[in-house]
Amino acid sequence: MASTDVKTPDHPVTQVVAPTSRWKTIVGNQQFILLVVWIAMIIGFSLKAPIFFSSGVAGNILLDWAPLVLIALGELIVVISAGIDLSVGATVGFSGVIGAFAMKALTSGGTGTVPTLVVGVLVCVLVGSAVGLINASLINYARLVPFIATLVTLGAASGLSLVLTKGAPIMSGPADAITLVIPWIGPFSKPVIVVVLITGVIWAFLHKARFGRYTYAIGSNAFAARAAGINVKRHITKVYVLSGFLAGLAGFFFYLRLNGGAPTSGLGMELDAIAAVVIGGAALAGGVGRVSGTVLGALILTTVTSGLIIIGVDPQWKRVVVAALIAIAATLQAFRKSEGGAS
Amino acid sequence: MTERGDVIYEVRDLSKRYGAVVALDGANLKLHAGEILGLVGDNGAGKSTLVKCLSGAHQPTSGQILLDGVEREWRSPHDAIEAGVETLYQDSGLAPHLSVSANVFLGREEVKSGILGKMGFLAQKSMDQRAHADLDRVGIAVPASGRSVAQLSGGQRQAVAIGRAVAWASRVIILDEPTNHLGARQAGEVLHVMQRAKEQGLGVIFISHTLPHVLQVTDRVVVLRLGRVVKDAPTSEFNVDTLLGTITGLITE
Amino acid sequence: MRASRTRTAGVIAVAGVSSVLLAACGSSSSSSTVAASSGTGSAAAASCNGKKIAFVMGAESDPFFQAMKVGATDETAKQGATLIWQGDPKEYSPATQIPVVDQVLAQQPDALVLIPTDPDALQAEVTKAVAANVVVANVDTHVTDLSQVLTFITGDNADGGAKAADAIATAIGYKAGTKYKVVVGLSSETATTNVARLEGFKKAIADKYAGVEIVDVAYSQSKPEVANTNVNNWLTKYPDLNGIFAIDGTNGQGAAAALQAKGLTGKIALVGYDAYPDNVKLIKTGVFTALVAQDPATEARQAVDAVCTKLSGGDVSGIKHEVVIPNVVLDKNSSDADLQKYTYVA
Repeated sequence: MASTDVKTPDHPVTQVVAPTSRWKTIVGNQQFILLVVWIAMIIGFSLKAPIFFSSGVAGNILLDWAPLVLIALGELIVVISAGIDLSVGATVGFSGVIGAFAMKALTSGGTGTVPTLVVGVLVCVLVGSAVGLINASLINYARLVPFIATLVTLGAASGLSLVLTKGAPIMSGPADAITLVIPWIGPFSKPVIVVVLITGVIWAFLHKARFGRYTYAIGSNAFAARAAGINVKRHITKVYVLSGFLAGLAGFFFYLRLNGGAPTSGLGMELDAIAAVVIGGAALAGGVGRVSGTVLGALILTTVTSGLIIIGVDPQWKRVVVAALIAIAATLQAFRKSEGGAS
Repeated sequence: MTERGDVIYEVRDLSKRYGAVVALDGANLKLHAGEILGLVGDNGAGKSTLVKCLSGAHQPTSGQILLDGVEREWRSPHDAIEAGVETLYQDSGLAPHLSVSANVFLGREEVKSGILGKMGFLAQKSMDQRAHADLDRVGIAVPASGRSVAQLSGGQRQAVAIGRAVAWASRVIILDEPTNHLGARQAGEVLHVMQRAKEQGLGVIFISHTLPHVLQVTDRVVVLRLGRVVKDAPTSEFNVDTLLGTITGLITE
Repeated sequence: MRASRTRTAGVIAVAGVSSVLLAACGSSSSSSTVAASSGTGSAAAASCNGKKIAFVMGAESDPFFQAMKVGATDETAKQGATLIWQGDPKEYSPATQIPVVDQVLAQQPDALVLIPTDPDALQAEVTKAVAANVVVANVDTHVTDLSQVLTFITGDNADGGAKAADAIATAIGYKAGTKYKVVVGLSSETATTNVARLEGFKKAIADKYAGVEIVDVAYSQSKPEVANTNVNNWLTKYPDLNGIFAIDGTNGQGAAAALQAKGLTGKIALVGYDAYPDNVKLIKTGVFTALVAQDPATEARQAVDAVCTKLSGGDVSGIKHEVVIPNVVLDKNSSDADLQKYTYVA
């Protein structure tokens, strides 16, 4: 019989929907699996090399995780809307380079550290947002599919980075900027804490607010969204600008970490972002994905990298491990889809 | 039967071109409040195009659209919805990954009060309750609103889509092939829902291939052929054969 | 009507973006021709008047080649010749270099100074050039068969690696009998420069500094953040690490930042390669213990000089077939004049 909160009016349109089995619920809970995998990795690496389980390594992992989770969350939102953003890696480098030029100019002009850094982060996110705006315009008005549109901006941004810097990193910014990445509370440095807060804010807007609701709707059925009165083009613009904004922020984070902006920074990072999103349980077809999954996906990626270095295995093996994780995640996602449910 | 009210929704000389293709050629149509108007025609007759112009999804090339006697221009579905015109599209009105209440409130979400509301934070519990109540009111009962619509059966999904349209409609409701993929009993329920909408004074446009349904529930029938209205008459003047004949062109005025 | 307007907007947008892309690609790999300046220096110096000299390399945007360009531009101007400077802006590979060589040969230069990205793949291009009566020289890297090449001028990568080993040993105060740990950060497993430097480093360590152990080696594909991650983790893994050899500029940047972030500046010896101006500044602050500087500008000057002698019919007996420009190690003790001279200026 149907569940108890259904009344039986004059014309019931009811049918019993079979309850899902326990096993399927557990397998279907991507985040739970990811948590288990992550903990297993930590245990495994620690057994092989006890120094892995230390605040120093945790700090390293968080330092890698922070910029990755920023662009991965931007990518998550784009993917949920049934799009893709290939330009995030190049945008990280490009925004970092422009920001570096700005900060170098200010520093040589005698501006203090704090105002220079403030201008630096503003320049980085502005450049990132501009790239996002170009992406959105190419998609909305030039009618390019997201793959092609963002491929175009990827090329333009990485090319411009090289032209402007002649291949060399741009440094000579505020000398003590690098002290910001020194751990402050436990293994957490101040910028990492800011990233954690931003993650929380994104979680709220994606899962509890209209912005997220529209994103899921557009990814699930863009026609239905439009028919329901949603301004799909305007929302798509917001989505890609946000992705660019977060990439710019990650570019600034790299600047702090490397004490300079390098044109090759971030190249290829879009693949890591997509990997984190897919491992986290999102579907590239749109409509599915959660912040918690992406956060765990990014943690797993960065833990693997550090772990391999610590236990003395060539860190290039990370790519093989990541490929295997993507395959498993995609299989689980297909399995879930065929059972007719969303995670 | 309820008394037919004034003309509520009208198109005059409506044409729509897609490039070189003329999909609609000078169509005329009058819908009254408290009336169910059947819109029929063969494939390619222009029904879909007319529906899209009426719902705001597409903009006509020429002609006029009038709501309550006032000429309107729908630049997007949003405009039509604001004016009280709800449309149930063939097959694709729902977002499968979203829950029942998310679908019912799609585009018109309820937000929390105060500053959180301004930032767009949703009043989820309230929407869940209201969705359940609204669907109930129009005669649709669906299981708990939490699960995604994709997990419902085809008939239940259709019920949600219809329920949503009827719950929000304040002037006109357009239903494009609402009984497709439904069994006999469920189709009967849909027809019942349409009658209840009519009783509430809405204007209903019912597009269907299933001629017995059209004859059963409509007050008037408009027949489209090759983009033109070839017949506009009370339902009582038709039977299945004459209706079919008018659609295919065997019977002409 | 709506649709066609959108389409027009779309075409314009795509055209706009494409032209930005083309400009971006074009401005780096397009031929920059320096017009022959008249009346510079003595008649003997302007022996190459009106001749076209082409330089073709890979990864044109690399500061090493940018510094080389300064020397090439300078010397060709002095000799009254026109410089054609071409190479793929980012990629260091024969696949992208060979088409560029063909393009350049089509412009009928009098001489080709080639920096081959692969010793065998570019051999055919050298043969082609010589058959068209183009004088060929090699700089930095060389093709396998040098019989048709006028001269080969290079910085010595193996020597650079060895000098890096010496610099680290000095910085850590090497004493026979004590054990030390060092790590090496590289970009690529196959690039000959990387390989040669690592070999030179290893050999010097094996020959002279037996107590030093290379505990780890990793690759960063020219990405400073990957180098940064590698070094961060090594610093955690080897609390008693003594030194780091960063084989190129991007590895240097990543390593320097890692040391600064962990407050280990000066406690761990960091030897880098290539005198990027920003890294040179860090020698003064003690972040870099030493930098192995090549002299790409001098390599270019010598190459232009040699081909000009040949083109103007001068005495070629003085031209050496192989010239090795020594590397210079820049450290805290280097004079300001030296620092100025050897820093790569673009």
